[in-house]
Amino acid sequence: MQITKTITDGKMILALEGRVDTVTAPELERALQLDGVKELTLDFAKVPYMSSAGLRCLLAAHKTMLAQGGRMQLTSVSPTVREVLDMTGFSVFLDIA
Amino acid sequence: MTFALDKFLRFLPSATFVMAAEYLIGLSHSVICGHLMGADALAAVNLMQPVLAAVAFCALLAGTGTSVLYSVEMGRFEQRRAREILTQGLWTACMLGAFAFAILALFRERAAESFGVSGAVLAGVKEYWLWFLPCAILAPVEFLLTSACYSDGDGRICTLAYLGRLAGNCAVSYVLALKYGIAGCASGAAAGHIIAAGVLCIHFRKKTNSLGFVRYFSLADSFRICKCSMGDSSDKLCQAALFLALNLFCVAQFGPDVLPVVSVVIVVLGLTEVFDGVAKAMQPLASVYIGEGSDRLVKRILRYAEAVSGIEGACLAALLCAFPSLVLRLVGLDEPGLVERAALAVRIVSLGLAGTAFVSLFNSYWTFKSHETLACALTLVSMFFAPLVLFVPLGCAFGEVGVWAALALAPYVSAGALAAFVAWKWGVRALPAFLDRAKMKATRVYDIVLGPDSICALSEKVGKFLAARRGIGERKASLTALLLEEALMVVMDRNAKRRIRAEVSLWFGGDSLQLTVRDDGAIFNLTDADTKISSLRSFMVSNLMLILPARRNMTTTGFNRNAFKI
Repeated sequence: MQITKTITDGKMILALEGRVDTVTAPELERALQLDGVKELTLDFAKVPYMSSAGLRCLLAAHKTMLAQGGRMQLTSVSPTVREVLDMTGFSVFLDIA
Repeated sequence: MTFALDKFLRFLPSATFVMAAEYLIGLSHSVICGHLMGADALAAVNLMQPVLAAVAFCALLAGTGTSVLYSVEMGRFEQRRAREILTQGLWTACMLGAFAFAILALFRERAAESFGVSGAVLAGVKEYWLWFLPCAILAPVEFLLTSACYSDGDGRICTLAYLGRLAGNCAVSYVLALKYGIAGCASGAAAGHIIAAGVLCIHFRKKTNSLGFVRYFSLADSFRICKCSMGDSSDKLCQAALFLALNLFCVAQFGPDVLPVVSVVIVVLGLTEVFDGVAKAMQPLASVYIGEGSDRLVKRILRYAEAVSGIEGACLAALLCAFPSLVLRLVGLDEPGLVERAALAVRIVSLGLAGTAFVSLFNSYWTFKSHETLACALTLVSMFFAPLVLFVPLGCAFGEVGVWAALALAPYVSAGALAAFVAWKWGVRALPAFLDRAKMKATRVYDIVLGPDSICALSEKVGKFLAARRGIGERKASLTALLLEEALMVVMDRNAKRRIRAEVSLWFGGDSLQLTVRDDGAIFNLTDADTKISSLRSFMVSNLMLILPARRNMTTTGFNRNAFKI
């Protein structure tokens, strides 16, 4: 998995490319250093697949952003990843554009 | 190393031991009576061989078919039906046992007198026969329990049961023979069966036990069980008939001096019983695969069995060719004139062992594939007709050596004849395993040792393969990849300290896709949507189960099997 990270004025954009699974999720976890981040955008345009390991990262990031009073958004989510979010109820509390 | 090979190799030692023990149990009474009571007792026990073969036939008739049909039904995920088969198998064993007991009890006197012996030998036969009678009931029931436990994957308990039977039979026979003579020796056989049945009962208290009995009775199922067993069980009768014919022909043609050499040959031919261990080791997995319709996996397990049969046959042949004296010592043959003749006989007959190993394997395999009549024909041809048709002319033309050469040639001739028949009736493509090529094309199999890297790599590989396949679609491909990763990771997490092997198969049928995951971890039902949720992963698996209504779980032959229709 490739992660392109852009940070400007407390805004972090992570553009992910590839599968988010048990093996690659720790990379995402490491990339999600959210100190001082007020707005987090995760670009899922090039993510065809995500497992529970990816969900765990999203959940941890969501909790951190809530605690920091920030905002987190998922963009360009593919239908297959969307189904995973819907199936687990994550789409109810995550902001999906 | 694949999952199937790993399982097969785990079953193989216990299956081979079971068959070797069976052979040794058969020999034990001859050895005990011969050593303790002399030639008359030995002759009496040897005369009883057809009766022992008849009891063994009854035992195999109930047990073999039950275990095959039970495994096939489990392969179809039909546990209730499998239990009905097992229950009917028990009824069948009891009915056959009672029938054998009644016949043997009713005709004991008259049949013993028809053996053409008198005096001490006749008295010995009658006494042995009387005290052997309980075995007519015990043997079918005990063998049914052994076969059932074996089909349930408990090779260890079967090994222990046979060990108990072998030790109990020998010890009790020996002790009682010291005090009560031949009657005591015969009683030891019953003691062996009781000990073995007691050991087998332990399996029913194990957590891994999936055997069970239900209220059920069907004579039609008894008939199916017997029909399915016919190929395997009739070999005892065919062998007994062949040995009788061989003895009669050799005595008539070469005189009574040849009998010790014939005895040595019979010991070598009897050794082939050990080859049945390969088919026995293959049976639990092969029957489940046949029940599932996974012909690709059936082909895989059959290849392993063929390789082992070839190796066993070749090794035993090489051993006997190099050291024929091993067999001569076993029967105590040391007369100078006979030793050379017997050694030559052992060397020639052993050349047929590789062929016998394959014949034995396909005899059982065709039974698993519901070609019972063909299996039965193979038994009759290879164990009776082919040797008889060959040894009479060759014996007349070339003497003793001709007879031994005929016995070595018989398995190859039988295999060739049956293969030609199959090719004529079902086509060359049916040879030798009756596998459905369309089914094989519709199945894909992956083997894996569980670890995060291997699981994710497999999930990705399966996802990409399915996405590229016409008619599956991206959603199904992704869902299958997801299910595979989550399910295998849950299995890995539940067996944290163990190296777990799994076998994943995909089956494409019309618009549907079936994913089957087999693993050798602790018993766990992946398909249970109400299972306790202890992690985000198990939460995911639980939610996946809710959107996959067609899912089944069954623990069979000691491994977890979860199937999902996607």
